[in-house]
Amino acid sequence: MASALSEPSRAAILSLFRSLLRTARQFSDYNIREYSKRRTIDGFRQNRELSDLSLVSSAFSDGKSQLEVARRQVWYHMALLDVNHFQVVEFRA
Amino acid sequence: MAAAAGTSISALSGSRSLQLNQAKPETVNKVCEIVKKQLALPADSAVTGESKFAELGADSLDTVEIVMGLEEEFGISVEEDSAQSILTVQDAADMIEKLAGEKSA
Repeated sequence: MASALSEPSRAAILSLFRSLLRTARQFSDYNIREYSKRRTIDGFRQNRELSDLSLVSSAFSDGKSQLEVARRQVWYHMALLDVNHFQVVEFRA
Repeated sequence: MAAAAGTSISALSGSRSLQLNQAKPETVNKVCEIVKKQLALPADSAVTGESKFAELGADSLDTVEIVMGLEEEFGISVEEDSAQSILTVQDAADMIEKLAGEKSA
């Protein structure tokens, strides 16, 4: 019976890892940046030995969701810190 | 050893055009430093241009972290496909010089 879950490739997993680290790097706050980076590294290392495909797939989906959350957080973080910048952009438009 | 290989290739060809353009020693040394730090290797451990990350004890996650560290150190950005093809110190150093060269071009 075919599984509804698609197995993420090794390349896709490494790409997700890299994307999460790149996003973490964008936080200007040192503590948030370091925490996000650490959380990513620890998370991937903890799951490194997973062999059950369904667990690998759900960890991968989880990671992708967290990437989207992190990307939005970076945007809001920048918006909160650069309120004046955003206002100026709005007026010029 | 890499320098000797370069010399013998140019001796065979009789011209300089076949000489391999390899990264500057400073770049290679910096990469070695970052690799040793990532893999927690002692400062005096033997890491050279030919060293393969996998042989030094790196797994694929370590390699991603190493490439990220190199991006930060050299102010470059490596594309996903290129990043996944970096397997040795020399690969990393050559990529750095290529990207740094494009940046200043």
